[in-house]
Amino acid sequence: MSSGGGLALAGQSGNRRWWLFVAAVVIAALPLVFQDSYWRTNLIVCAINIMLAIGLDFILGYAGQLNLGHSAFYGIGAYASTLLIMKLGVPFWMAFVCAVVLSGAAGMALSIFAVRLRGHYLAIASLGFAVIVHQVLLNWISLTQGPLGIYAIKPPPDIALPGLPVISFGNTANMFYLVAAFAFLFYLLLDQLVRSPIGETLTAIREDEVSAASFGINCTAWKVFAFGVGSAIAGAAGAFYASFVGTLVPDAFIITESFTILAMVIVGGMGTLIGPVWGAILLTVLPELLRGFGDLRLVLYGAALTLVVLFLPGGLVQAVQILRARFGLLRTAGDAGMRR
Amino acid sequence: MTAPDRVAAAAQARPATAAAFFCSEGLHKRFGGVQAVRDISLNIPHGSVFAIIGPNGAGKSTLLNLMSGLYQPDAGRMVFDGVDLVGVPAHKRVRLGLARTFQKIRLFKQLSVLGNVIAAFHVHHDIPAWQYVVHGAAFARDHARCRAEAINLLRFVGLEARASVLAASLAYGEQRMLELARALATSPRLLMLDEPAAGLNAAEVERLLERIRLLRERGMTIIVVEHNMDLVMKISDRVLVMDYGQHLFAGTPAEVQANPSVIAAYLGAMT
Repeated sequence: MSSGGGLALAGQSGNRRWWLFVAAVVIAALPLVFQDSYWRTNLIVCAINIMLAIGLDFILGYAGQLNLGHSAFYGIGAYASTLLIMKLGVPFWMAFVCAVVLSGAAGMALSIFAVRLRGHYLAIASLGFAVIVHQVLLNWISLTQGPLGIYAIKPPPDIALPGLPVISFGNTANMFYLVAAFAFLFYLLLDQLVRSPIGETLTAIREDEVSAASFGINCTAWKVFAFGVGSAIAGAAGAFYASFVGTLVPDAFIITESFTILAMVIVGGMGTLIGPVWGAILLTVLPELLRGFGDLRLVLYGAALTLVVLFLPGGLVQAVQILRARFGLLRTAGDAGMRR
Repeated sequence: MTAPDRVAAAAQARPATAAAFFCSEGLHKRFGGVQAVRDISLNIPHGSVFAIIGPNGAGKSTLLNLMSGLYQPDAGRMVFDGVDLVGVPAHKRVRLGLARTFQKIRLFKQLSVLGNVIAAFHVHHDIPAWQYVVHGAAFARDHARCRAEAINLLRFVGLEARASVLAASLAYGEQRMLELARALATSPRLLMLDEPAAGLNAAEVERLLERIRLLRERGMTIIVVEHNMDLVMKISDRVLVMDYGQHLFAGTPAEVQANPSVIAAYLGAMT
């Protein structure tokens, strides 16, 4: 049911290349299909949310660490890159790298600090961390301008390649391509990691730390690693968010954001990478589609979430598996044949 | 006869052993008010099968947990093949060549049977760091080697036909055998089995016995904590009997069976 490590899927690498190609084509086509700025904005938010969701899934779904502080890493990335650019005049891409490193370091620091905590206790500690980061952003007015927010943040600098027209990221289509390309890269990175023996190592830690240690797995080090990778990706998402939206207020990184990201991971299917991608897309687009229902949309949104958790604990990935089992017998036989 | 008296009576029978592969001196471990292990000294020669028996609560599993590094002792020394083990965490002891199974089965339930063995290969991967991200030739070689070795181990314990199912769906006896296969995946020199026969039927015990014999023939040193006396008597070279956390008696299986203090500990004091 759960793919767990990479091994169960290893035989499908031919399939996988095909699906990655399809994904690239879809990404290329999306801004051409959606021409208005409203839907293009949603596309970019989708790509940012995908980064957040797969980063959290690496920490939560694979390494099994109940991290409720993901909004903090997101916020650290956004504020770090913006402040470096606006206060110190650092070039965007250097600030971007700094934001990624800083968020990753914050994640590793939290993991080291909470090394003895697991399950609910880690959840409370990481939640506390998210509250602290939010409060610092809100109250360190001399640095962050607090609730007044930071305005007029520039998009990433134009790229001028010789012989090609200048690529400007003030254009929403180009901005989408940039953010989607990074989301795609991060997905590939995590996918490669979980298909390597690291996938089994992290799953072993999730399932039973005592047992994992008895096979030579240094659980502390690997948890720090998972936190570092997941939160660094959240930092990248934050840097893109700031440069895309152009304004930054602390309330964008309030703790409910952590729960929204968590919902994307759970609705999509924890412990698989493709699940959280679909979860992020669904939970970004669904509230927009339900806008016609006015205030009722929040009720519908909540009901949809509850139904998924009640009847599909494995998320959308499980739904697909059930449908395949019911209608796609031929296809399943084909997959089994390939695995031989 | 009180417990300390029995220990005193049995103490003369302590062996003087030759060059030890694993030895401990004066191990102590206390949990709150309970002295779980008290002054245990061991000498286990290379290539032997060493059994630890005793009534429930005698401290056998605690002793094994001290050896494998799950707990650190309050006092005492442990030396494995010339390396002082005290203070070395469990995951580092694996690299020295120690491996163990658990009395209460601790499989990775959401991994396949094969995945469980692959996870246990953790210390033996030979992949340059960058190839974890860009899977290259060394990665493919390592993948193929681990898979082949894992299949071999599963064949050894009779589970190769179940390689692709989830570990959680194995029958109880199969789960015990998978625990053994995983421990072997670390290529141990000293293998510690915590009640490997618990819950197995007679045929499965027989198969386990056969596997332990084979491992011993390959030169592996084995420590078995076990309640199944039949199995203990058949495979062990030496037996340590514990009671109330203390050394009660140590000797060959035949000596253990004939020792009155051991019989008293198991059946209750008669005098």
